[in-house]
Amino acid sequence: MPTGKHKSRTLRRVFVKTPGSRVVKHFRRRKPSKASCGGCGSELKAVPKQVPSKMKNMPKTAKRPQRPFGGVLCSRCMRLVMKEQAREEQ
Amino acid sequence: MSIFSVGRVCVKLAGRDAGKKCVVVEQVDDMFVVVDGATRRRKVNVKHLEPLAKTVDIKAKASTADVAKALGIEVKATKPKKAGERPRKQRKVKAKKAKPAKKEAAQSSKATSAESKTPAPKAEKKPAKKEVPKKEAENEEVAKTEAPKAEKDQEVYKA
Repeated sequence: MPTGKHKSRTLRRVFVKTPGSRVVKHFRRRKPSKASCGGCGSELKAVPKQVPSKMKNMPKTAKRPQRPFGGVLCSRCMRLVMKEQAREEQ
Repeated sequence: MSIFSVGRVCVKLAGRDAGKKCVVVEQVDDMFVVVDGATRRRKVNVKHLEPLAKTVDIKAKASTADVAKALGIEVKATKPKKAGERPRKQRKVKAKKAKPAKKEAAQSSKATSAESKTPAPKAEKKPAKKEVPKKEAENEEVAKTEAPKAEKDQEVYKA
């Protein structure tokens, strides 16, 4: 009998062609949801959507844009925050 | 006169320098401005700047050091770049090393002759010196095996 994880849809199915030209079903972890902006909730463009184990091996610079609040806020929301901070100082 | 005249203190809004203070150093046209200070010195769109009420006394096209003084910011001294010379030097050293090695071999042959104390005729010595470096150039291994042979030949001659 197949185990529970192979009957349910928690794992995604990937059809892999073997060297012997046989098509085999592989079970892999599903990718996480897309990273979204903390301000407006829009999708963050430069943040990759990968399984945590692959994200661990990627360099830090490949995982987020190189600016304050990079990977947390979208550029528009970040600019609004920066404007507010600059005006509060005065 | 726009707000972004020379000496106006601003905050950068876009890019990796966002949130850092800077001073307008030069007005390129009505949309673009050259900026320096805690940010890198660069041409910037006015849309990417938030002007502050503060202004600083600066000449147009002032140097980064002057801007840093006016703002009261410490600027890191950039080290002069030294990279690029090293590989060339190494190659030269290697080439030099190869030459003295041949000389040493010749000297060693000399030394062996000197140790034997029997002064060999000059006519025989000179060809022996020339032969040793040529063989080394062709094959180092062959030269190593042949060099002692040449020395032995010399000894035979002396005997």
